[in-house]
This record gives sequence, C-alpha cells and structure tokens, in this order.
Amino acid sequence: MKWLRMYKLLVIASLRSRMQYKFNFWLTAAMTALVSVVEFLLLAVILTKFGHIKGWSLAEAGYLYATLTISKALYRSLASDVHHLEKYLVSGELDNLLLRPIPVLLGLMSQNFSFRIGEFLQGIALLAICMRMLFLEGQLTWAAIPLTVVVIGSGALLLFGIGLLTATIGFWLTRIEQLQNITEDAARTAVQYPLTIYPRWMQGLLLTFIPVAFASYIPSLYIIRGQGGLWLIAASLAVAVAVFGLGLLMWRLGIARYQSTGS
Amino acid sequence: MLFLVLARKSYLRNLQYRGAHLVHNIASAIFGFIYISIWTGIGQSHTLGEYGIDGMVAYIAFNQASLWVTTFINNGLGIQQSVRTGGIAIDLMRPVPLFYQLMCKEWGQIAYQFIYKFLPIYTLYIFVLPLQVPTSMLTFLWTAVALALAAFISICINFLIGAVALWTMESGSLFWVNYAFSMLLSGFLIPIEWLPGWLRFISHASFYPFLHYVPTRIYLGMESPWTLIGSLCWGVLLLCACLLATHLMRRRLEVQGG
Repeated sequence: MKWLRMYKLLVIASLRSRMQYKFNFWLTAAMTALVSVVEFLLLAVILTKFGHIKGWSLAEAGYLYATLTISKALYRSLASDVHHLEKYLVSGELDNLLLRPIPVLLGLMSQNFSFRIGEFLQGIALLAICMRMLFLEGQLTWAAIPLTVVVIGSGALLLFGIGLLTATIGFWLTRIEQLQNITEDAARTAVQYPLTIYPRWMQGLLLTFIPVAFASYIPSLYIIRGQGGLWLIAASLAVAVAVFGLGLLMWRLGIARYQSTGS
Repeated sequence: MLFLVLARKSYLRNLQYRGAHLVHNIASAIFGFIYISIWTGIGQSHTLGEYGIDGMVAYIAFNQASLWVTTFINNGLGIQQSVRTGGIAIDLMRPVPLFYQLMCKEWGQIAYQFIYKFLPIYTLYIFVLPLQVPTSMLTFLWTAVALALAAFISICINFLIGAVALWTMESGSLFWVNYAFSMLLSGFLIPIEWLPGWLRFISHASFYPFLHYVPTRIYLGMESPWTLIGSLCWGVLLLCACLLATHLMRRRLEVQGG
C-alpha cells in the first residue's frame, strides 16, 4: 500500500513535468494513435478484400489485435521506462535511482510517465466494434466481457514480464535494444495475427521460448471461438504470473551485479 | 570532394556498430517473415492475383530488405537533436547548404545499410524462401536506379520532418507517422491495386508508391522502367521544397540549450 501511494505520487510528479510541454504531449499522443490506426487498417484492408485469414474473420482478428494493443498500452504506461533501461545503464543514470529510498524498479516504472492515451482509445474503440459484431453473430455471450478484462490484465502482466526479463539481461550485456526488438516488438507483432499462419517451429517459439501467444491468442481461442475451455484463460494467467515472477527474480539478481558506467 | 568525405565519415561511424546491427537484422528478418506468413496464410484459400503465392513472397521479401534503403534512414536527418542542443545554429552557419551536408551524410548511412542490412537480410531470404532472382543485368540496373531515387525522396521527406522541429521542438513522432503511412500507401505490405478505391487514390496522388511499389515491381519484372520518370519528378519537387524549407529555417532559428 505504501508503495502504491508512492508510485502514484511519483507518476503525478512525472506527468506534471511532462505537461510542461503540453503541445508535444498531445502531439505525440495523437501521432501514436494515428500510427496504431494505420497499422490496423493494413490488416483490415487485407481481410475485407480476402474475407478471412486461415478461418479468422475481420471481427475475430480485430479482437485479437485490440486486446493486445490495450495490454501493451497498459504495460508501457504503468512501467514506462523499464523498456528504456539501456539508457540508464549506458549513461549511469541508474545511480540516481539507486540512491532513492524506494525500490529501484518502482522508481524506474514511474520515470518519464507516458500515458498512452492514443493507443488506449484506438484499442478500446476497435474492441467495442469487434465485440459488437461478434455479439450480433452470436459468437459471444455476456460472460465474454469480464473475461476480456481478465485477458487484457493478464496480457499486460505477461508483456511486462517479458519486457522485464529482457531488460534485466541488460545488467549483463548493457546493450539490449536489439534484443528488445526481437523479444518485445517482433514477438508481439507476430501474435497480433492468428498463430496458425506461422510454420510449426515459429508457433512453438511463441508458445514456449517467448510465450507471448498467451497474451491474447490462447485466451481468445476460448472466448471468441469456443475452443478448449476456461482452463485456457487460467493457463494464460498462470504463464503471465510465472514469467513476471521470473522477471522479478532476475531483476533482483541483476541489480546486485550492477556496476555503474558513465561519469 | 565534400560529398565523398561526409558520406565516408558517416559510413565509417556506422561500421563501428556492425555487430549490433547484424543482431538487429534478425529482428528485421522476423518482421518480414511475419508479413510473408500473412500472405501465405491467405494464399492457401485464395489466388493472389497476378503475383500468386510465390510472387507475393518475393514481393514482400524484397520490400522488407529495401526498407533499409528507402525508409529506415536517420529520423528527421538528426535535425531535431541539433535543434535541442543548439548545434543547428552552427550547422546553418557552415559554408555548405544545410540540406547538402545532411544529404551527403545520409548517403553514407544508406550505403552502409545497403551492405550490412539490405544484403544480409535478402541473402537470408534467398536461402530460406523460394525466391527467384532476376537473370537480366538490366533489371538489376533499373532496380538500383529505382532504389536510389526512392532513397533520395526519403532523404527529402526526412529533411522536411526534421525542419518542423525548428517550429515545434519535437518532430520525432512525425517520422513514425510517415512510416505508418508508408506501410499503407507505398505498397509495402499490400500491392496498391488491392487497396480500396479511396486509399488507392491517395496513394497514387502521393510519392509513396515510388518508395516500395515501383522499385519492387521493376525488380520482379512487372513494371517498365519508364515509371521512374515519376520518381524523378517527385525527387525534383521535394528538392525544391527542401531548399525553400532551408530558406525559412534561417529566418526562424532560435538557439536552445547551451
């Protein structure tokens, strides 16, 4: 509880410093929303032209895309600078955070707070449209709404866990941007689409080595396509908690090994 | 030769990081692989027009590799950073026009990326995908011209993006907006003839097709080199816009930082 309050205070402070440049804040928010819309438009154009991809309709693929977008926006809002740990390691800025009387991770999470309003709005709008379409076709029941909320939360935790694990590798390697590109960006982009379009080995990678498929694809199988059972959602949640737990453990190991660079 | 000196320096600077860049190529190759999988997924239940599955694989593979020549160049040519540090004042004072110095540096970067990114990624694809390589030398020549013109268009666009920073202090996100539009309108992922009418109209009215669609189709032998006249016209037009922007920038200059 004490930590939560502190986190809130730090986030507000960080937000206030950001709002000194109001125009930039809103410009960046609008731009990221636009980028996100255009990205989905790509998929929408393909699906309206060809009808479906491996049996997934536009509404289903949209659901997959939207839940993942919201999860990502949640993770990147709540833990903004975890993704940018490299900057702290290279410049030695992490020293400042180590000196503060709060857990370092919490300090990092509240630095440069960026509320990803654009992605939230785009994701929620898309999700609403797709779920409405699926309701009308009788593919969804009302139970889907609370389940979707759970999936978004567990997806955000999983993405955070993967991000944290990748970031902590930085304590050993220092430079991690290229690695993040693979484990965070490429892997997440891959599961924005139904997993079945990929060859077996790649499906395997996305289910085990970088288990990002559990963020939205696996639970969606149950929620919108009625495959498997409720256990798919429980499994997704378990994977998210396990990955995040591992991330925290590695973080503790890593930070004990931290050596300051820079001047 | 100032051009060669600047280009060479920027090439050598990049060379320092070639190890990290080669790792990065893995990520880039995976992205291309995702896009290819989308088309092979669709191709199993649909015919893919004049391309066919193999044609679409070749189309996307070439596009993904050529991103490193035509799209992923220095964000705003680095103008935003020099606005923030105040370095822009010195850059504008140099006895060489700003556009020319930045362009020379960028050509060095593009040459580097062609060798250390385009070639490794495309070579990888040749080994793992069923790709056909053109047999005629002339096709290679025209593709090279098309890519060079595309790179020039991209340099101009990024100069204009960077120039915005003199007014707004921030232009980094415009790079990503340009990137997103380019994904949609340049035929990078979807050949332009398959876009819905209104998007096709916008695309044809813009320079975007000359970044990916035209070079790739020339490479695949589906387009005549005459379309490059379009690239040339856009190049000249954008060059004029950049020169005008430089003129305005000199009057607008404010020194930030210290």
